[in-house]
Amino acid sequence: MNGWIGRCLRVNLTEGKHSIEKIEPDLVERFLGGRGLGVKIFMDEVAPQTDPLAPDNKLIFISGPLVGTGAITGASCNVITKSSLTGALACAKMRGHFGAELKFAGFDMVIIEGKAEGPVILSIMDDRVKLVPALEYWGRSTVDTEQLFKDNLNDQWISRETFMATIGPAGERLLPLANVVNDRFLSVGGAGVGAVMGSKNLKAIAVKGQHSLQVADGNRFVQVINTLINKLNSAPLTSQSMSQWGTAFLVGLCNQKGILPQDNFSKGTLSLKNIGTEALNSAFVLRSRSCFACPVGCIKKTDFKHSAYEGRGMVPTYLAIGSLGVNCGVNDLEVIGMANMLCAEMGLDPVATGGTLATAMELVAQKALTPEELKIDLRFGNGEAMLEAIRLMSTKGGHAKRLGQGGKALAESFERPEVFMGVKGMPLAPFDPRAIQGLGLHFATCNYGPHHLYGNTFIDELLNVHEKIDPWDIEAKPQLVKEYQDTTAVMDSLGLCSWPLMGLKFKNYVPMVNSCLGTSYKAEDLLELGERIWNMERLFNMEAGFDETHDVLPDRFMKEPVTEGPAEGQVSRLQEMRPEYYRLRGWSDKGEPLPATLSALGLEK
Amino acid sequence: MARIKINHDKCTGCRHCEIACSLNHVQDTANPRRARIRIMRDGNRYYPVIAGPFVDAACTSKLFVEVDGHQYDMCGFCRASCPEKPYFIEAETGIPLKCDFCGIPPSPSCVRWCNSGALELVED
Ligand code: SF4
Ligand code: SF4
Repeated sequence: MNGWIGRCLRVNLTEGKHSIEKIEPDLVERFLGGRGLGVKIFMDEVAPQTDPLAPDNKLIFISGPLVGTGAITGASCNVITKSSLTGALACAKMRGHFGAELKFAGFDMVIIEGKAEGPVILSIMDDRVKLVPALEYWGRSTVDTEQLFKDNLNDQWISRETFMATIGPAGERLLPLANVVNDRFLSVGGAGVGAVMGSKNLKAIAVKGQHSLQVADGNRFVQVINTLINKLNSAPLTSQSMSQWGTAFLVGLCNQKGILPQDNFSKGTLSLKNIGTEALNSAFVLRSRSCFACPVGCIKKTDFKHSAYEGRGMVPTYLAIGSLGVNCGVNDLEVIGMANMLCAEMGLDPVATGGTLATAMELVAQKALTPEELKIDLRFGNGEAMLEAIRLMSTKGGHAKRLGQGGKALAESFERPEVFMGVKGMPLAPFDPRAIQGLGLHFATCNYGPHHLYGNTFIDELLNVHEKIDPWDIEAKPQLVKEYQDTTAVMDSLGLCSWPLMGLKFKNYVPMVNSCLGTSYKAEDLLELGERIWNMERLFNMEAGFDETHDVLPDRFMKEPVTEGPAEGQVSRLQEMRPEYYRLRGWSDKGEPLPATLSALGLEK
Repeated sequence: MARIKINHDKCTGCRHCEIACSLNHVQDTANPRRARIRIMRDGNRYYPVIAGPFVDAACTSKLFVEVDGHQYDMCGFCRASCPEKPYFIEAETGIPLKCDFCGIPPSPSCVRWCNSGALELVED
């Protein structure tokens, strides 16, 4: 199969054995690969009621068919499991170089089953699959673990070519906020995945190899990529904003429209003096870093001229500035950057962690929780305390550990569930749904919890890249949300990053897909596959106990209008949009896919 | 004469150049280990190295280079396809590789796909 290695590695940690399986072409035809195929296999093998941290839960690491072929932004490896934070499906999108290297190592996917007796590292290097005892790595940060493993290889060439997906102390301690990290690239959207990995005693996976990938029509493929690179270079957002500041350029725009939340979504705009792109320029020396085969390079590092960041360099992204910064009342970029780095080292998900800290801070503001009780002076705006909390949360027990259980559990333990700003147990990505209605609808209905990278409607709603759509308007939103959700499902399944949609239309990708895989898809065919994948994920979540009562936003957004700033007076109009969204999806008014919808998509209940 | 100018500071480590090279030299095949340009990475820094001539024995002298206060083994930057280091020995065939300034003028395939400005074609 073009683009594919065609092999799947199955590792049973309980027995310490592994086997190699073939990937079935007819499943690929129906579910594309990556997220789609991963979820399909996961659903076939794991019962929806499974306890996420039990040995019966499985972890699937799967790269898309375009990953590693040189297709632009073909870098994504998705990690599919049942999340211990939400209890729903989780799909951590792991960018960076791991996904491509997994394929060069000879596998499109790795299925992890069971639970190892003691800590292990799975090493898939040059066609040798080994489980390495990992006691000496346990307790180490993600970065130390990688370093030590590579030092132990004792060969500068081999260690440079090795890539690893690692959990930090947070994952080992089974914190539901834990995520997996590779080479300081934080995965997006998969809070809980780190804990599942920890529950299996799997500290890391290391990959390296020399397998080749075949593309169907190399000459055409190269031509198409040349054109796509030119297109990206002529689009202002991808060629300038993203390459210069990464996603952090969104801070200013979101703030201008009142979308950037402050103090646990209780306030609107603020002065940009400290956190805008200008401030970013003066706080750090920005250098770009890319995921595999990405011409954009939106990840910023800064290992020069800044002592605290020396060699650790990560400049905060929009997510970090929003979640770990402004939404916690912190507007010092250096502190935010440090918090982001700590998350990468401890293996925490920055959005989930930031959301949890903001919940705690609001509980403190309401005097439900006292700083004495927490032993940390966790107030809105206290950056140092925030850093302290992140450190303690992942390494110590006591009250800090309570924070590590996530915002929802925390708010409920004080009988103030309304303080938690999240959906399905996962804290909201830092976009105020009152000021951007479509994204609000997406947050409520997303299969993976409220994360914008499963349906980036803000590309049109806020940035007006392809269409000019008013963020407050609701009429066009259900359709827009459905389109973006399906598009992202396709891109995740192919293994592509969805950020470049800021410069490319989805249909621009189609020739690249076809010349690489030797298929003859049209954009509509792919979107139909996306719809099939979205519905399939919905079916799993329904069986795991989710229904229309979970497709909601916190009361604050429905009842309390924004009090100040450009979006003053707005509330989320989710209730008006949701019925239309269900109808467009072909779901009943209870949000269940209708039999006719399922059979049209070739799915069964 | 046209030369490739490498600017380490700009390299983002995306390795698109490696794949461009591989696709250009081996029909329909993407594999960094068959490329004549490799990215030497050290932590957060990336150094593109383009394959030079084949040598049949490793150097007897060992050198260090210092860049921005970091010490590197010179072998990491060295362009030779040498038996001591696997970078430019082609996987699958074992043949030593050498950059042949490929691609359609005006630019070699790696330069064309490098979008960060790290690789540039200059005339002098
Ligand atoms: S746009 Fe950013 S996140 Fe996406 S592949 Fe490129 S560098 Fe990675
Ligand atoms: S394509 Fe350019 S930026 Fe990317 S790794 Fe190669 S030299 Fe560096």
